[in-house]
Amino acid sequence: MSEFLLDIRDLKLGFKSYAGLIEVLHGISLNIRRGEKVALVGESGSGKSVTARIILGLLQEFSTARISGSVSFEGDDLETQPLSVRQGLRGTKISMIFQDPTSSLNPVYTIGVQFQEVLRRGDVQISAKQAEARAIALLEDVSIPEPERVLASYPFQLSGGMNQRVMIAMALANEPSLLIADEPGTALDVTVQAQTLHLMRDLVERKGTSVLFISHNLGVVREFADRVYVIYKGRLVEHGRTSELFHSPRHPYTKALMAAVPRITGGGIPDIAEATDAYLDPMIDHEAEATS
Amino acid sequence: MRRIFYILLSNPLSVIGLVLVGTVVFSAVFADFIAPFPSHRGAVVDFSNFNQPPHWPNIFGTDLVGRDVFSRILYAYRISLILGVVVLAIAVPIGVTVGLAAGYLGGWTEFCLMRLTDVFLSIPPLVLAMSVMGLLEPTLTNGMLAVTTMWWPWYARLVYNVTRSEAQEGYVLAAEIIGASRLHVMFREILPNCVPSIVTKMTLDLGFVILIASSLSFLGLGVQAPTPDLGSMVAEGGNYLPDSWWLTVFPSLAILIAVFGFNLLGDAFRQVLGSDQ
Repeated sequence: MSEFLLDIRDLKLGFKSYAGLIEVLHGISLNIRRGEKVALVGESGSGKSVTARIILGLLQEFSTARISGSVSFEGDDLETQPLSVRQGLRGTKISMIFQDPTSSLNPVYTIGVQFQEVLRRGDVQISAKQAEARAIALLEDVSIPEPERVLASYPFQLSGGMNQRVMIAMALANEPSLLIADEPGTALDVTVQAQTLHLMRDLVERKGTSVLFISHNLGVVREFADRVYVIYKGRLVEHGRTSELFHSPRHPYTKALMAAVPRITGGGIPDIAEATDAYLDPMIDHEAEATS
Repeated sequence: MRRIFYILLSNPLSVIGLVLVGTVVFSAVFADFIAPFPSHRGAVVDFSNFNQPPHWPNIFGTDLVGRDVFSRILYAYRISLILGVVVLAIAVPIGVTVGLAAGYLGGWTEFCLMRLTDVFLSIPPLVLAMSVMGLLEPTLTNGMLAVTTMWWPWYARLVYNVTRSEAQEGYVLAAEIIGASRLHVMFREILPNCVPSIVTKMTLDLGFVILIASSLSFLGLGVQAPTPDLGSMVAEGGNYLPDSWWLTVFPSLAILIAVFGFNLLGDAFRQVLGSDQ
């Protein structure tokens, strides 16, 4: 067993189109240890979400996608694994939380029915009664009052915050070792977002789940993650422990990213410099420097 | 459910549609008890009483061989409804499966299935149905077959469009990510979200199927005598206009009532289920 739960090495992704190969990721290497919370930060279109899709094996199904590099999960290279093994990981060992919790739940089924399907994914034998008891316990874990009522409700009858909690409970239902959170709660308002993030952090810490946290919200990342990778146009530009990186951002893009956050103390919307070539400077890796 | 009924009953047009459809279905199902002369649906001849204008007990008059027009209309409703239900029961599953597969799987599957659908849609429906009927014996079964061949592509296209937009929804991705199979995603996740559109179209279509089936038999390609059929009754009576007007007017009104009723009801469903989203 290797040191890392998830180890991505030199991952490249391109899409073949009529105009030739369009490169999206130019060699990304990142890793997550067991129980570690790692954030991947960048602007829209920088390649955050496609990285998540590749880990889950969803992009490999596209005939136009050209992927190279290696993705190892629990020490096994996913590329060399048969399709059935890779698909078997989804929903059991790896699960995911999305931006908009309400649209991630099917509007025609009650929460209870959807919960049962998730649990059945982990244990085919589970009976309806057991599933319900387990769902109630899991919903209590995410501090949902009256879990029975929530299970009998449809997603559109619950608030966004409630749905987000349900999503978290579902994502952790089968005790995955890796949770991918793709901009969780971006569609929610900030107070609800803060509450659910707290919940999520407590839960993953208690269960020892590793998290890949994909976000463009630096404030949230600073509170949540142990380590941060900054991604820009398909390249990682800076990597380090959260405290180091926020204290002394050294890459021009990271600095620009931090300067772009509006302050609650006023001062207007920050002026953001146009993208410069400096953003494409080579990666600065705080950890590698520390160990060398 | 209760809310749906409430909305239906609060709109006068929906109530009219509901009443008309109710009447049509009721008279078709209980034709044996309502019809004053149940035996007149077959090859009965009563020359002492032929070609009579409306009078008691033949309230819609009698036809050229003395059969009661009212009784024959009731039995014709029964045949039309059976035809409509059977046609939709075959056409809808075919169309829905094709549409779901094309909309969700994409790629070559989508290309082949949707172009095939386009080929069927490009032929004028009545011409297609007529050519099928011309090739085969004109019987009730073949009539259903003919109408079915022209009907499924509409469902394929409808479901295809809905699937395309539903497939972008988060819950589809969420299902894929927890490892749901393609069949599961198509039939258990996406299909239930297409049901409102399908139900609305089915209600609207029941009227149109009856209309098309009547058109076919009006042209002599539908159900054959002596089985009563609204289309062939109109065609037969048309030769004796305007003197024996009751032979044409009452079956035509019967078609009008059925089609109008199903249209109103379909519109009502569209409003109710549309506001659901």
